[in-house]
Amino acid sequence: MADVNAKGVLTAPIFQNNPIALQILGICSALAVTTSMSVSLVMALAVIFVTAFSNLFVSLIRNHIPSSIRIIVQMTIIASLVIVVDQILKAYAYEMSKQLSVFVGLIITNCIVMGRAEGFAMSNTPGMSFLDGVGNGLGYGFVLMVVGFFRELLGAGSVFGITILQTVQNGGWYVPNGLLLLPPSAFFIIGLLIWVMRSVNPEQVEDNEFKMKENTKPKEAV
Amino acid sequence: MGIQQTLQNIEPHFHKGGKYEKFYPLFEAVDTIFYSPPSVAKTTAHVRDGIDLKRIMITVWMCTFPAMFFGMWNAGWQANTAIDAGYASMGGWREAIMMTLASGHDASSLWANFVLGATYFLPIYLVTFVVGGFWEVLFAIKRGHEVNEGFFVTSVLFALILPATIPLWQVALGITFGVVIGKEIFGGTGKNFLNPALTGRAFLYFAYPAQISGDAVWVAADGYTGATALSLAFQDGMSALTDTFSWWDAFLGFIPGSVGEVSTLAIFIGAAVLLWTRIASWRIMLGVFLGMVVTSTLFNLIGSDSNEMFAMPWYWHLVIGGFAFGMVFMATDPVSASMTNQGRLIFGALIGVMTVLIRVVNPAFPEGIMLAILFANLFAPLIDHFFVQANIKRRVKRTGVPAEETA
Amino acid sequence: MAQGNNSIKKVLIVAFALCIVCSVIVSTAAVALRPAQQLNQELDRKTNILNVAKLYEPGMDVEEVFSEEITARVVDLDTGEYSEEHDPETYDSFEAARDPASGRTLSGDQDIAGLSRVENFATVYLIGGEEDPEQIVLPIRGQGLWGLMRGFLAVEGDGNTIVSITYYEHSETPGLGAEVNNPRWQAQWEGKKIYDEEGDLSPEIHLTKGGASDEYEVDALSGATLTSNGVTNMLQFWLSEEAFGPYLAKFRSGTEPEDAEETDTNFEDVEGA
Repeated sequence: MADVNAKGVLTAPIFQNNPIALQILGICSALAVTTSMSVSLVMALAVIFVTAFSNLFVSLIRNHIPSSIRIIVQMTIIASLVIVVDQILKAYAYEMSKQLSVFVGLIITNCIVMGRAEGFAMSNTPGMSFLDGVGNGLGYGFVLMVVGFFRELLGAGSVFGITILQTVQNGGWYVPNGLLLLPPSAFFIIGLLIWVMRSVNPEQVEDNEFKMKENTKPKEAV
Repeated sequence: MGIQQTLQNIEPHFHKGGKYEKFYPLFEAVDTIFYSPPSVAKTTAHVRDGIDLKRIMITVWMCTFPAMFFGMWNAGWQANTAIDAGYASMGGWREAIMMTLASGHDASSLWANFVLGATYFLPIYLVTFVVGGFWEVLFAIKRGHEVNEGFFVTSVLFALILPATIPLWQVALGITFGVVIGKEIFGGTGKNFLNPALTGRAFLYFAYPAQISGDAVWVAADGYTGATALSLAFQDGMSALTDTFSWWDAFLGFIPGSVGEVSTLAIFIGAAVLLWTRIASWRIMLGVFLGMVVTSTLFNLIGSDSNEMFAMPWYWHLVIGGFAFGMVFMATDPVSASMTNQGRLIFGALIGVMTVLIRVVNPAFPEGIMLAILFANLFAPLIDHFFVQANIKRRVKRTGVPAEETA
Repeated sequence: MAQGNNSIKKVLIVAFALCIVCSVIVSTAAVALRPAQQLNQELDRKTNILNVAKLYEPGMDVEEVFSEEITARVVDLDTGEYSEEHDPETYDSFEAARDPASGRTLSGDQDIAGLSRVENFATVYLIGGEEDPEQIVLPIRGQGLWGLMRGFLAVEGDGNTIVSITYYEHSETPGLGAEVNNPRWQAQWEGKKIYDEEGDLSPEIHLTKGGASDEYEVDALSGATLTSNGVTNMLQFWLSEEAFGPYLAKFRSGTEPEDAEETDTNFEDVEGA
């Protein structure tokens, strides 16, 4: 990690090395909290906060963490941060915390947080680690917002709770797509998003595990 | 031989390097409609019959005809009966066609029933075909493979498992999802692990449940609510079912339901041809049937005070809902089913068991066969894996030579 | 360095220090924010009650309006009388139902709402004074399709005409059963009658498919038969003689349960016992 520069650390995880789209980490919460954009936004902010500060704290004490208990140390720091976030949300954003229910608590199990603490913060300076945490949180948040946008717009006809497509239930014309209100729909949207991102950046495409037989061999023109 | 001549003349343009190279799949599709494809099984080791994928697919397609034609008549008959009883017709352009061709909603007229049913089913089929075909061709051109007759089957099966009154834009969305997500993203025909027609229907079922389930969608008369036989039993119990329909009604198909699913008899006629030509696997059908019989009998024996569905005997399960159609046409899809012979039995049994389980103990969905088949599709490769491994082991034991070397 | 870090002493020191720091941070956050959180929960409950009574407007001071307009009382479900035994501020009927001392088990026939146990006393909220309330807000709950649904039903002072219904906790299918909280669906409850003219305690109100035709019928949720059945069943239960039937009967017959002497006697009886 010789060429660690601030801008790269911050922006790379958003498109080039997105934790959800490329590393396929932290999908569970992306399924559960993306029914509406406002909830996705709060979740994204919570994750940015936790990844940034857990990276910062882990990095600050990285030279004093005994390798034998380093995972536990990281977990403890992450868990404390998550509980603090949860408590703050309950106190100051009660409506949101009701909708997020257990998923704030489950940030603890979000692989992105743990992965960055172990993979980056343990071997980099606090400043860089903080930026890396923010960057990865942003990458996660970006996917969350995209998924949330499609699910809320097509599933409930609104964006951030503001009606865009008037639904039939409320006397409009738009028949909302019920599938998008169910968690599995996020799989499809994330899948399609990965498809788009990899079409734009073909270098993200993984090598084939095996070669598929071609359906037809086109003949040469005579 | 004007057509052949023309086709042969323009063919080089579609080959690699030709000016229409990209559109080779389209050319190939047209070409093979008229003439047999250049590559058919030829060597003696495999040929029992000069059959190819196209003939298989066309045969399956024709096997759905009895169910399709009966379904059209029945959709019209159900609607005309309701309209005779005082309900308003749905109106619109369908009504105009109806008046021109049949001049009235006479439920006793074979022709009037058939025309009305056709005004519902044919647009569904047409939309399925055009929209699904569009995606098929788009991916074929993009990926450079040919358009495959499998789509004939997918489109007709998809159209047949929809209720007559479904909005056409939903049909378009459903087949789009089925073809793109259910098939093309995995590489096209032969590489999908889910049945595309069912994937499309499952999408509609969860996305727009109000238009594909419930009581109001099955009969094309305004405001008329007629529950399917299955949801009648589900909501009001077996006695309500037997009071409303006789078993023979359900077997012959005089019940409300998805267009192609109603007549068990018509489906069995198709099944006979499929089995006789050995296109469909009898093992899968047998497996589904036995799985259903055993599980429903088990539920009959257990019994329940609160859940009426426990009491439904196997011969009712067979004739109502989509069971027969799923067993004959969906479960036997050669791509998404198991490939090994013993595996096919297990695969079928899994479908039969799951169907009855979903029908009886699930609180939300009265119909189970669609989800059961999709579920079993996921397990098909695993089931095959076990049997293939067992075969390899047995062969090693017999010959003492590891599998790699015998090949 | 690595050697030094992995000595037992260092491991213990780091672990200990980390635990201290983290526990201090976590407990500080928990303790410092506790009052704000409780306030939120309380506010949420009160907002729901005001909502069902159609008194809620966005941006209003919920606390103030609630304390001005609403009186909470605990009702003995058996007799329909008010009880002084429990403080309405702290009484938790959900807890009480589970406790053998303050709840009872329902038999299969009684338990149409799928509750299995029900409390003996329940909190009601009166709007417009205790003497002659304009509205009575009743807590209701029961099984929907996927799980327990909890909500409030607001009834007019005649004990028979419905004002509104709302669910604040449910797990029904989004887009189908979850439409119980669609304002358009809720709106059609207004003015519906619970009981017929005969004056018995069996509620007539129910959900029906294909269009409500009289004042005891409400349109079922389209495509959500089982949620609709659940709503019907829980109303049938909570408004029957098993629950709020006797209480509401007092309003219907015109004799207010707010009979000071009787309540007092009850109260003393309890005290004496």
